[in-house]
Amino acid sequence: MPSKDNSDDAITTLRDSLQAIRSKKGIIGYILKAADSASVDLNDPSKIVDYAVVSATTLEEGEKLAKVFGLGDLNKVVLEGARMKLLLLARGDHRISIFMDKTVDHEAVGKDLNLA
Amino acid sequence: MDTDVYAVALNNTLNELRNICPDISTSFIFTKDGVVVAADEAATEATMNKTMGSLHGLQDTMASLGGLNTLLIDGAAGKLAISTVNDMYLATAAAKTADLHHIASVARVIVPTILKILDGLAPTPPDRAPSHQLIVDTLTGFFVGSTVEIDPQVLGQWAELLDRKEIGEVEIEAFSGEKTQCKAKEIGDEKIKGKGIIRIPEKACKALHVKKGELVKVRPAAD
Repeated sequence: MPSKDNSDDAITTLRDSLQAIRSKKGIIGYILKAADSASVDLNDPSKIVDYAVVSATTLEEGEKLAKVFGLGDLNKVVLEGARMKLLLLARGDHRISIFMDKTVDHEAVGKDLNLA
Repeated sequence: MDTDVYAVALNNTLNELRNICPDISTSFIFTKDGVVVAADEAATEATMNKTMGSLHGLQDTMASLGGLNTLLIDGAAGKLAISTVNDMYLATAAAKTADLHHIASVARVIVPTILKILDGLAPTPPDRAPSHQLIVDTLTGFFVGSTVEIDPQVLGQWAELLDRKEIGEVEIEAFSGEKTQCKAKEIGDEKIKGKGIIRIPEKACKALHVKKGELVKVRPAAD
């Protein structure tokens, strides 16, 4: 099935890219969610649930706001807090949440992933 | 300064921001308690309420990130930025082509500047209130202290003018030039309220060389 092969290739490429940025200074971790699977890599694995909730809530409210303001399909959400920030990217069925220190340039992270 | 003045100034600021940056489709400012402080002409109540609802939904999430500084949403057809400005939220929606990060940064400079200027323009309360001419009524009796009694309306006017909670002490000047300073309280007797009377203890009347029925000049004592 060529389409599944393509999808698998895309996921593999995405995982490789995420692994590459994972080693960068200030990156706290990521959650890659596909339709039927998820990959998680965080500095503190005990916070998986917390980060998953943050990611899901941000996506949910981001989609609501996109609808309210007629922004069309969601491409990217950046939630910047006083301590850290979340870059959430939506590509097809994939939702990529990258957690990083506040000082990290999220635009550069997105470019490194070739997704932003 | 009156909050209406702030609201008008901020409304104008947001409208001007939209004139300067036509990419902005709408913008509004609301408090963390969900009160809209200012909005441009394009902002609708439904949009503002739904935005505040979403921010409320993100509250726990924001807490785990250390509180919200900025929320940027990039859609296929437009963008939205919600950023913290002076303990309030500024929401700005714009076209896809807009540099929303830049617009939000500009707004985060302009809005606090406007608020600071308005604070600077707030009228300073005068140091002294104008004196009132009041008719002397003497307070006599064993339990009369040294406090004068003045019409509540007069005390209220002074308090408002001087931006004080209450007027606790007054300066009384007789037309002969004698002066004294006394503690003051409101006249309790309903029958003589609103008649421009000051009830002065006998001892103070003697010091001022005034008698019942004479006029004295009264003003709040300086802080």
